[in-house]
Amino acid sequence: MKKLLALMLALILAVAAFGCGEKTPADEQGSEDGVYNVVSLVNGNLGDKSFFDSCESGLKALQDAGRITYKTIEMGGTDEDQPKWLETLYEVAESGEYDLIICGTYQMPDYLKEVATEYPDQKFLIYDDTTYVGENSNVVNFSYKQNDMGYLVGVFAASMTSATEVANINPEKVVGFIGGVDSPVINDFLYGFLQGIKDTDPEVKVDTRYVNSYVDAPLAKELGISMINDNACDIIWGVAGLSGNGGAEAAAETGKSWFIGVDSDQELTLPEEQAAITLTSGLKNIGQSLIWFFDKWDAGEADALFGTQVNLGLNEGGVGIVTDKNFAKIAPQAVQDAVLAAQEKVASGEITVPTAIGDETNGAVALRDSMQP
Amino acid sequence: MKQLMEMVFQAEFFASVIRITAPILFAALGAVIAEKAGLTNMGLEGMMMIAALFGTLTSYWTQSWLVGVFCALLVGMLLSLMVGFFALKLKTDIILAGIAVNMLGGGGTIFLLYMFTGMRGNTGSLVSQNILIPTLEIPLIKDIPVLGEILSGHSLLTYLAFLFVFLLWVLLYKTPLGLNIRAVGENNHAAESVGIKVRRIQYIALAFSGALAGLGGAFMSMYYSQGWNSGMVAGRGFIALAAQAMGRGEPMGTLLSSLLFGLAQALRTKASALPDISTYLVSVIPYVATVLGLVFYAAATMRRVKKARRPKEEAEEK
Repeated sequence: MKKLLALMLALILAVAAFGCGEKTPADEQGSEDGVYNVVSLVNGNLGDKSFFDSCESGLKALQDAGRITYKTIEMGGTDEDQPKWLETLYEVAESGEYDLIICGTYQMPDYLKEVATEYPDQKFLIYDDTTYVGENSNVVNFSYKQNDMGYLVGVFAASMTSATEVANINPEKVVGFIGGVDSPVINDFLYGFLQGIKDTDPEVKVDTRYVNSYVDAPLAKELGISMINDNACDIIWGVAGLSGNGGAEAAAETGKSWFIGVDSDQELTLPEEQAAITLTSGLKNIGQSLIWFFDKWDAGEADALFGTQVNLGLNEGGVGIVTDKNFAKIAPQAVQDAVLAAQEKVASGEITVPTAIGDETNGAVALRDSMQP
Repeated sequence: MKQLMEMVFQAEFFASVIRITAPILFAALGAVIAEKAGLTNMGLEGMMMIAALFGTLTSYWTQSWLVGVFCALLVGMLLSLMVGFFALKLKTDIILAGIAVNMLGGGGTIFLLYMFTGMRGNTGSLVSQNILIPTLEIPLIKDIPVLGEILSGHSLLTYLAFLFVFLLWVLLYKTPLGLNIRAVGENNHAAESVGIKVRRIQYIALAFSGALAGLGGAFMSMYYSQGWNSGMVAGRGFIALAAQAMGRGEPMGTLLSSLLFGLAQALRTKASALPDISTYLVSVIPYVATVLGLVFYAAATMRRVKKARRPKEEAEEK
């Protein structure tokens, strides 16, 4: 027995020593061969058809181009999984193998801050969160101008709801918005949406409702059905993660309304019947923004970005709107032109879209309530 | 307020109450029969999740909704028997076994979906119209104005949920099996002493319970929502447990409390259209309704108890 124990101890020591020797120092940034080793921590699961999948596709494109090697760790998104998040962050930071550790969403900043402070030489990137911008010089925060995206969708919805020659578009000028939770990020989408509508046609009303959950599609469907039947909404924009799809179901099932997707091109991922009534989608291109970041890194401009917040808009490819398939087929030419014109104006800075993030006056809420039918 | 009234007093509103109630009712009836046998089936939520997933998957593989519904029922039943095996045979705490199933329903389903289809998160692209549970227009009733709109045009399973209230009552109170179940639930030692096979009765009750939860799951993914997505049951299994408790564990009472939940949730859907009311406030309506319901119920019972006691006390005074 004793012999066995001693043997095992020796083995453990040997492995530990070996492991130490193999470790690459964390401060050795941007490895010599120009191929970055990246790990992406997903605090949920891939397959959300939006956020995490978009990140994954960006990394995959980078890997295929031979610019990075990456590993994705799915940590799960339920309450029970939360303790794992911090643990995993510590683990990957401790290993020192990675040139960059990527994570995202509003749920991660507290964990990230702790680990980033502990490992000041390790570089981190967090997307779609701005909680502790600038507090750690080794963290770069990515935020997305979802208000710009919302603006384009708003312009589209407002011009579309008046195009009564299109099937299912009723004379009532009312459109719907299904939000996940009444929070600054969701209201940022909404603010742009409302502003775009107001600038295009001030008579259009917007029925805004929140599911208060990102996974309860049936409840979102009930909200959608009520919007269509009670307020004659003929276009619904669902901004509520998996719940949002309930809006598409409501539109498809009642046969009286159209749907607009969010984050990724939902026309490609929804069931056939729902895809057929999905006119376009507002895009949040996490993947594209990562590619943009590695472009900067290769150009040697990344060091200045760490410790700051990068706000990605139309110009960086961070956000956008789908303009092919149903958009091109169903929307009248005048509507398409209006959207493209607005896209140009927003990109050039001619139009500044207000944002709900950090807005003390709560302009989004006031505007929302004033436009409720 | 006027706007809300206009929205509420519509046939469509009451139809939505029925739609929202059905899945809760299935699971709540499942809770009723388990509780009657003296077992708390805590895992309803997880059973619904897993059954919902398998309902969608098998209906896709076989292109038949009927097979999907049966498979969901079967999966619910098996899971419930598994809980029974752990709790009755291996003597784990049944609450813990139920919680384990709930956790399995949260994370395990995503794993299973990935294993079977390579998809993650939701089954959106698998679904087509022919594998969803069909809706039923009831002849005659559908032509009655208003009432027809409320009662007709629901899915087969919706009607089944309400039918099960009656069937369960018959089972519990009019059959020998029901008597045995109740006897086991009241006092299993007494039941054993008169020769009832307690273990077997408990397994049967759990099997029924799981099957009902399975049907609830099938309702969720094959009719209510077109396809499965992670987390889609969203607490309905737990609300069902509350409905069972509020309904005093009786089929009729549980139907009423489930309807109350349905009504509150439907009201919430409508109220969220009103401006100037916080959505957070609106979303607690179903839970406030529960608390109010319990308060009224408790008040009514107390009054009844008092009334029953009074003549006795007067008699004693004399």
